[in-house]
Amino acid sequence: MKNLHDQVQQEYARLQTRKHFLKNCSMGLAGIWLGGRSIAAGLSDAGAATQPDSHDDSHALPHFAPRAKRVIFLHMAGSPSQLELFDYKPALQQLDGQDCPASFLEGKRFAFIQGVPKMLGPQYPFRQCGDSGAWVSDRMPHFQSVVDEVCFVKSMHTSQFNHGPAQLLLHTGNQNLGSASFGAWTMYGLGSESENLPGFIVLVSGGKTPSAGKSVWGSGFLPSVYQGVQCRSKGDPVLYLSNPDSVSMQQRRRALDAINRINQQTFNETGDPEILTRISQYEMAFRMQTHAAEAFDLQQEDKATHALYGTEPGKESFGNNCLLARRLAERGVRFIQLFHWGWDSHGAAESEALNGGFKTRCEEVDRPIAALLNDLRQRGLLEDTLVVWGGEFGRTPMRENRGGREMKFVGRDHNPGAFTMWMAGGGIKPGISYGETDEIGYEAIVDKVSPHDLHATLQHLLGIDHKRLTYMHQGLPQRLSNVTQPSRVVKEIMA
Amino acid sequence: MLARSRRHAVVPFAVFTALVCGLIAGSVRAEESAEDVRFYEQKIRPLLVRHCYECHSEEAGEQQGGLLLDRRSGWIEGGETDKAVVPGQPDASLLVTAIRYDDDNLQMPPDQRLDDEAIALFEQWVQRGAIGPADDMGETEFSRLGDQEYLFDQAAGHWAFQPVAPVTLPSSPSSRGEWGTNAIDRFVADSLAEVALAPSDPADPATLLRRLHHDLTGLPPTYDQITAFVEAAQIDRDAATRQWIDRLIASPEFGQHLGRLWLDVVRYGDTDNNYRPDTRTPHYHPFAFSYRDYVVRSLNDDKPFDQFLKEQMAADLMGFAPDAPEMAALGFYASGPYSSRAQAEALDDWIDVTTRGLMGITAACARCHDHKFEPVPTADYYSLRGVFAAAARVNPLDETKQPILASYRPTPAEVADYQKKRATIDAKIDGADGKKAKNNNRSIAQKIRETELAELLTFHPGAPARAMVLADRKRPPESYVFIRGDASARGEAVPRRFLKILDPQQDAFPQDSSGRLELAEKIASAGNPLTARVFVNRVWGHLIGSHLVTTPSDFGLQGSRPTHPELLDWLADDFLRHDWSVKHLVRRIVSSQTYQQSSRSHEAGQAADPENRWLWRGNRKHLSIEAIRDSMLLVAGQLDRRIGGHPGRLWDGDYTRRRAIYGFINRFNLDPTLRAFDFPAPVQTQPARGESIVAPQALFTMNAPLVIDQAAAIVSSADFLRIKHDRPKLVSLFQSVLGRDPDAAEIARALKLVEFQKRFQNPDRPPSRFIDSPWPLIAQALLMCNEFQYVD
Repeated sequence: MKNLHDQVQQEYARLQTRKHFLKNCSMGLAGIWLGGRSIAAGLSDAGAATQPDSHDDSHALPHFAPRAKRVIFLHMAGSPSQLELFDYKPALQQLDGQDCPASFLEGKRFAFIQGVPKMLGPQYPFRQCGDSGAWVSDRMPHFQSVVDEVCFVKSMHTSQFNHGPAQLLLHTGNQNLGSASFGAWTMYGLGSESENLPGFIVLVSGGKTPSAGKSVWGSGFLPSVYQGVQCRSKGDPVLYLSNPDSVSMQQRRRALDAINRINQQTFNETGDPEILTRISQYEMAFRMQTHAAEAFDLQQEDKATHALYGTEPGKESFGNNCLLARRLAERGVRFIQLFHWGWDSHGAAESEALNGGFKTRCEEVDRPIAALLNDLRQRGLLEDTLVVWGGEFGRTPMRENRGGREMKFVGRDHNPGAFTMWMAGGGIKPGISYGETDEIGYEAIVDKVSPHDLHATLQHLLGIDHKRLTYMHQGLPQRLSNVTQPSRVVKEIMA
Repeated sequence: MLARSRRHAVVPFAVFTALVCGLIAGSVRAEESAEDVRFYEQKIRPLLVRHCYECHSEEAGEQQGGLLLDRRSGWIEGGETDKAVVPGQPDASLLVTAIRYDDDNLQMPPDQRLDDEAIALFEQWVQRGAIGPADDMGETEFSRLGDQEYLFDQAAGHWAFQPVAPVTLPSSPSSRGEWGTNAIDRFVADSLAEVALAPSDPADPATLLRRLHHDLTGLPPTYDQITAFVEAAQIDRDAATRQWIDRLIASPEFGQHLGRLWLDVVRYGDTDNNYRPDTRTPHYHPFAFSYRDYVVRSLNDDKPFDQFLKEQMAADLMGFAPDAPEMAALGFYASGPYSSRAQAEALDDWIDVTTRGLMGITAACARCHDHKFEPVPTADYYSLRGVFAAAARVNPLDETKQPILASYRPTPAEVADYQKKRATIDAKIDGADGKKAKNNNRSIAQKIRETELAELLTFHPGAPARAMVLADRKRPPESYVFIRGDASARGEAVPRRFLKILDPQQDAFPQDSSGRLELAEKIASAGNPLTARVFVNRVWGHLIGSHLVTTPSDFGLQGSRPTHPELLDWLADDFLRHDWSVKHLVRRIVSSQTYQQSSRSHEAGQAADPENRWLWRGNRKHLSIEAIRDSMLLVAGQLDRRIGGHPGRLWDGDYTRRRAIYGFINRFNLDPTLRAFDFPAPVQTQPARGESIVAPQALFTMNAPLVIDQAAAIVSSADFLRIKHDRPKLVSLFQSVLGRDPDAAEIARALKLVEFQKRFQNPDRPPSRFIDSPWPLIAQALLMCNEFQYVD
């Protein structure tokens, strides 16, 4: 296929004049096929095809020297309680069991709390860990050993108090469907580094996809080439990856060769360079059949690694997904998004109570997360991999009293006013804590950080000026940090 | 944040013009002492650059809150809230208040308070008169963003806002030989002549027929049809083409194919964009399909487009009987992506689909402030919002308020089966009466209605069709501007009325009505300069493969200019003269020699116009995912051609063999295969589909069960099985899949592949989807090749 490949390269330049390429391709053809710098003659409202000016800024990407090349985003869907994990509030312990003061309830909307709830102190003991002295609860014993790699942002806040809109806001900068996800923007801005795998891969565990659905990794108004590809850790990692039962790779190879020859003939007759791209599309799919299967094969990892992550090949688990995230990062995947469901600790049932399912969730993520950070560091990947952890909002310092009654299990309601996220690696200042909540962890009050600020900051670390990476849609130059909302780069958390 | 009142309210237009010329700026400067300017340049400007420019300067491309701090007019006129500076009065100046951090809601810069020394310098500067820079840039293009007076002035001469008027045809067609019998060709030939290019030869008859079939019906012609057409064309090409075009336009597949274009525009889906977390089911719109069927039927009946629009916007106000088929048209709004619980977003969606979808104007952008780039003041947004807020929606599952449509006639067997299943579910609902779910206190009966019953209503062919309707409230509520889009910050009351740019008088719609019908009449009007142009451009793009205006949903100041402005106007005028007949419009376009040109490229054309903007050849078009799927089913003899009815699964499990337009569209979780093939997310009106080429598309054609099944079906037909030898088998495959005979080289190559694949035959292997024969793979190879997936 050498000859064909050369031809593809040759025709690439011509194709650029005919179809609109959203990005310059600095890595040759690598990016054409999967996400990244792909052919996408998408007609946005402003006619990307005829108004290249609207993209001029993004052509100069990265806008400045990137600190991170890739992202691993660990989303704890349902939103874990900051008050049982990282935001230590002794004052709340004092108030435990007392009626919530009226001043805390005025003008508030809750998903489930009714009437006057009781205050609820931290349910687990905290201790200071590492050289940085970060407070971490005893639910995260392994994580306690890596806190010096991490920067906590305790002053996250959001405008949304329901899961779906809050997840959309956190991942797309807009609580409504239709905007592009952080991963899609990253692909649009920086393209793919992998020739054999999608550049934006999504892994889901916990038995449930996020409340906001697949839109949290969608491309929204951006061309669909930039959307995340959901992969599974058991069975076919990618939809339609396996050949039909009776077809071997050898047969497939021959059939593709035949198709390529037919297409080549069509190209010779018509001179349409798009045909060559179609040919490469099949080649890419064929390579992916081999490489994706290889990338997702956890059997290749040794016993020590499995012990580190606490993983078992063939199972669907957050741990497996963490290990996969490291394998994908090694293979040049740009944006790896993990979702782990089950953190919605209302206390309405044991499975979702702070004194029930919450403990299990912690056990499921604690070891793999510590393993992932250690593993990335040992392999030299942590310095240019940005690891982000968090939920879509926080939880109330009050105990949930669904229906106005004390419930059998202990839980907390949704709280958009304060939550904790942490970041590590790629340009993040390690071993610090940024921002503060009030005495009871109810509202972020010092150095508040919104999802828009977070987006501006994370894009900055990737070398992207959040104001300059834009896409015309609905008459506005849209951006991840949301053009209608204020946003700032939180320089204080950068190394 | 400092925010502004309208700049033109402060500076009258004449003064503003003078400012541009620098006259006033000059005179102001004359009064300033050199010392004041030096103070500004040495003390103040560095502070502004360091702390403020990031969000308030042309250099950074930002004027947050409408405030610019890189020029005197910026701080004097201020932003959305008020003037930033009152010269001589630091305590009355918002800028000083903001930097002092006196007001909790107005603290600038937001990161950190300036030190006291810097604040003192600003106070001093304001005290001295807030003198500006030595090189004040005054008004610039950038600072005028959002200046509605300026934008209206610009819009006065904008092409798309001019009335559609008759256009004189370019003269002397004789000089262009055969070209020029169809008016379209004269315009195109004229433009080509200007760039010294000539049109291409007509496509050969077989290619033309395939193009016509795909463009008009979304399906390829059969080998026999091609043969018949080629023979007829040898006798009289023009007559044969005309006849064939008429036949295809009259076929029921016409509406099924063109209807899909319209469904993209109206963001059609069978659910809303949310789901129920406890039952993990989408919010079904079980009757949305009646709207989809209305669209297909209207196009097939050639309902005048203005009537088509009016019915979609206001059928409930047009005097139809409650169960008239036209009532299904209201699904245009009623089956939208937002539930009535998200009222603000639902209204925003309706405004967007109405203005951008029907008229190519981005009015939804004016929700929080006057449009930055278009002549749409925020009052216009709230005028339209008032119209829509007057409509009450019905719960999509409510069977009492959505009329049954007699036009849908399932078979008695289907009805009987539906009734049986329905009775079971109804009994279950009755049995759950009064019971509540343990974990969230929701009524169990309600849960069953939302899941089992909704699924039965959505998918069962025997379930009735109902119209998703709207009805106006008795008394339309007052509409107010929400300042910065915030519902708690009410501004002035605005009457229900049309957009100012299209209706400068802006007479209010009648007090006692919602104005929805009046709005429909303003939009579906020959006097509206946008409606016909926008639709004509959409149809042109659909058939030609490139648009005259490459921003199909943005005809405003920011949109692209048409490549052939006169042609666009001529087509729009012609469309209006022919009573908004969509079939006439389509016939007009496909009858042109422009449409019928060969798609072959040549060096001269490639050099002069590589994008084919001037249409020196036909465009090669990639098939949509719907057309690929339907074509595969067709050539495999599996396509179920029934029209209308409940949606089915496109490729999962026991997938439907009906056309893809009848596939179930889940807005909340859009099917990954649809998404991989650029199917637009049906949560907003879509200008046009993207064209991406990604590996998941290849994996679909390589391995999806639907494709494998069709390949197997092609080679298990009785006709194919009757053929004994490899060579005639191959010929048969080329004929049925590609509609042509293979040439000698193709046969030789394909035979080699057959030989190779035969080696893998193993009689001991268990039977699977791919029967134990080389032929399914060969058939699939043809389905996978470019020739099958492109239209030349």
